Amino acid sequence: MDCPACKGVVVVVEYQRIELDYCTKCYGVWFDAGELALLTERLGLEGGSLTVSEIVALPEKRVAEKARRCPICRKKMKKVTIGSASEVLIDVCTRGHGVWFDGGEVGQVLGQLKDKHAAADKQGRVIDFLGEVFHVRG
Amino acid sequence: MSVGIIVLIVVLVVLFLFLGFIWMSYNGLVRLRNQVKNAWAQIDVQLKRRHDLIPNLVETVKGYAKYERETFEAVTNARNLAQKAVGTGVGSQAKAEGELSGALSRLLAVVEKYPDLKANTNYLALQEELTSTENKISFSRQHYNDSVLTYNNKTQMVPSNIIAGMFGFKTGEFFEVTVAAEKEVPKVSFT
Amino acid sequence: MWEQIRSNQTRTLILVAAMGLLLLLLGYFLGEALFGSGIGGLVVAILIWVIMNLFAYFQGDSLILSISRARKISRDDHPRLYNIVEEMKIASGLEKVPDIYIIDDPSLNAFAVGRDPSRASVAITSGLLERLNRDELQGVMAHEISHIKNRDVLLMTFCSVLLGTIVLLAWFAARMMLFGGMRGGGSRRSSGGGGGYATLIIIAVAIVLLIVAPIAAQLIYYAISRRREYLADASGALYTRYPEGLASALEKIAGSTQELKTANKAFAPMYIINPFRDKGRAASDLTSTHPPVSERVRILRSMAGGASLAAYDKAYHEVSRSGKGVIPSSALVGAAAVAARKPEAAEAVPEKVERVRETSDLLWKYSDYGLVNCECGTKLRVPPKFRGDSIRCPHCGRTNTIPARRKSTG
Repeated sequence: MDCPACKGVVVVVEYQRIELDYCTKCYGVWFDAGELALLTERLGLEGGSLTVSEIVALPEKRVAEKARRCPICRKKMKKVTIGSASEVLIDVCTRGHGVWFDGGEVGQVLGQLKDKHAAADKQGRVIDFLGEVFHVRG
Repeated sequence: MSVGIIVLIVVLVVLFLFLGFIWMSYNGLVRLRNQVKNAWAQIDVQLKRRHDLIPNLVETVKGYAKYERETFEAVTNARNLAQKAVGTGVGSQAKAEGELSGALSRLLAVVEKYPDLKANTNYLALQEELTSTENKISFSRQHYNDSVLTYNNKTQMVPSNIIAGMFGFKTGEFFEVTVAAEKEVPKVSFT
Repeated sequence: MWEQIRSNQTRTLILVAAMGLLLLLLGYFLGEALFGSGIGGLVVAILIWVIMNLFAYFQGDSLILSISRARKISRDDHPRLYNIVEEMKIASGLEKVPDIYIIDDPSLNAFAVGRDPSRASVAITSGLLERLNRDELQGVMAHEISHIKNRDVLLMTFCSVLLGTIVLLAWFAARMMLFGGMRGGGSRRSSGGGGGYATLIIIAVAIVLLIVAPIAAQLIYYAISRRREYLADASGALYTRYPEGLASALEKIAGSTQELKTANKAFAPMYIINPFRDKGRAASDLTSTHPPVSERVRILRSMAGGASLAAYDKAYHEVSRSGKGVIPSSALVGAAAVAARKPEAAEAVPEKVERVRETSDLLWKYSDYGLVNCECGTKLRVPPKFRGDSIRCPHCGRTNTIPARRKSTG
C-alpha cells in the first residue's frame, strides 16, 4: 500500500495487537476498518463500537485541503471532523475501507493530548489511542 | 437335438449368472473389508498421534502446576497402557483409549486453575493439536463404524451372506466407547 | 467418474441432459439456418464444446486460483485451518487432504476447486478466516469438502462449459444473422428450388432458440447449482455432526456487505455463498446460484439434534414446505440415525483479535515484510520496497535495525 498523501512507503505498526499503517515520510496514519472495529470492540465503548460507516455519515467539511484517495479502492475520500473537545480533520473512505489521518493531524492530536486525555466519548477514545501509539513520532 | 442344445444353453447361462453373482459378491465383500481395514488404520494413526502428544502436554503443564503429581501419573499410566493395547484387538484397545480419555479430561480440568499456563503460546499450540487429534479420532471412528456397518450388512444379508459364509468373511467389530467420560471428547477450554 | 453423481442424483442428471439437448438443438437449427446444414451446425457446436471442456478440465483449477490471487499454505502457516481440513478429510473419507489456499481479501467467502478428489483445493478469504471460530470454520470446510466429495466441482464446471457454449453460439449466430450471413444461406436454399416454407420454419425455430436457449440454459444451470448447495450443506452437517457450526458461519457471511474483489461469475456456484448476491432479492429466486442464506440457516437449525442426511431432508420439508426433498432417496436408504455433537468449548480458538493477527501475520510473511520487534513492545513491519537498514519506532523513539530481508525485486 502507498501513502494516500505523499505516495511514500507505508510501514505497519502493531501496538497492543492493533495494526496501523504509518507513512515514514509524511507521518500520516491509515486506520483500516477492520482494525478500527477490533480497537473499539476491545475498548468496549459505550453506545456500541465506532464504525467507519458511522464516520462516513458525518457531515462533509469543505476545506481547501486536497482530496485524498482511499489506498484500497482508489476512490476519493470524504473529509469530516471527529472529536468533540479536540476536532481533528480526517479523510474517510466512502466505501468503508478505513480512515486516514494526515501527518499534520496526528501532530495536532499529539499536541493537544500532551498530558491530558481526549474526551471520553468513542471518537475521543480512538484519537486517544492514536496519540498513545505515536507517542514520539517522527 | 435342438432340445439338447437349448438345455445346454440354459444350463450355461444359469451357470454363468451364478458364477457372475459369486464373483461380484466376493469382490464387493473384499472391497468393503478393505475399506474397514483402511478406516481402522486411520484410527490407529490418530491414536498414535495422541500417545505422542501426551508426554509433551504433561511436561508443559508440569512447568506451571507442580502440585498435581497424581493427575500427571494417572495420565502417563493410562497413556502407557493404551500404547501397550495397540494391536490387541478393537475391544481392548477401545477400552484402554477410553481410560486415557478420562485421565486426560481430568488433566485438562486441572489446567483451568492456572491462568498463566493457559496463556502460554506453547500450551496453546499443544492444545490446538490435542483438540484436533481428539476430533480426528472421533471422525475416524465415525468413518470406521460407518464402514463396519456397511460391511456387516453385506455379510449378513441375503444373498451375499451365502458368499460371506463360503469364503469365511467375518463381521467387523464396532469401535465402541467404553468409558462414560469418553462420550464427551475432552474439550480444552481456556478463557 | 460419473457413478457417484449418477447414483445420487437422477434429477441433476436430467437437468444436465436438458442442457445438452438445448445445445444440440441450437447447433442443429442454427446450422440449418446459416449454412443450410444441420449436421454441420451440430459438428461446430460439439467441437466448440469439446475444446472448452478440455481447457476447463486441465486448466480450470489453476486458472481460478490464480485469478483469485490465492496463496497455498502449509501446515505450519496456519495449524488450525490445516487441522480442520484434515479432520473433514477424515470424516468424509476423502483419500487425500486437499491443498489449502488463502485469499487476501476482507470479504467473507470460501470455495473449492479440483476436477477429482485426489487433485482438489479449498480456498478461503483472510476475512472469513479471521471472523470464524473453530466450529464455524469446520462447518465451512465441511461444506467445501462436500463439494469435492460429491464431485460438484466437476459437475458444475461441466455445466458452466455447456452454458458457456450455448451463450457463445447464440451470440455468434445473432451477429451472423444481423450482418447478412442469413441472406446468403436463405437464397442458396431457395435457389435450390422448393422448400421455401421449410426454410422459413427453420429460420423461425433458429431465431426462437437463439433467444430462448441461453436463458433456459441459465435457469437450468442455476437449478442444478442450488440443489448441489443443499446437498453440500447436508453433507457438511453430517461430517461435522454439528449443523449449528455451518449455520452460524453462514449467518456471519451473509451479514457482511463487502464484495469479493476477485470473484468470477462463471465460478459462482463453487463459493460458499454467491459472491454476486444482490441485497433484498426475492427469497426463492430462480436466477440465483445459491438458495437464500436465511433458508439454508433455518434448515440447518431445524435439524432437531440430528445430523444425518435424513434429518436434513426432514428439516428441508418443514422449512420450504415443499413436497419434494433435496436429498436423493438412494442416499437415505439404510442410513442410521445420527445425533449432533456438542459445540467445541467456546474458547477453543483464540479470541477474535488474536485470530486477526494470526491471519495478517501470515499475509505479511507472504508479502516479504520484514519484522522489527521494538523493545517497547511495538512491532513494526517493513515492506520489501522500504529503503534503509533502520527505522525509528514511532512509539518510543528507539532506532531499530531492520533484519536482513529477501532481496526485493522492485
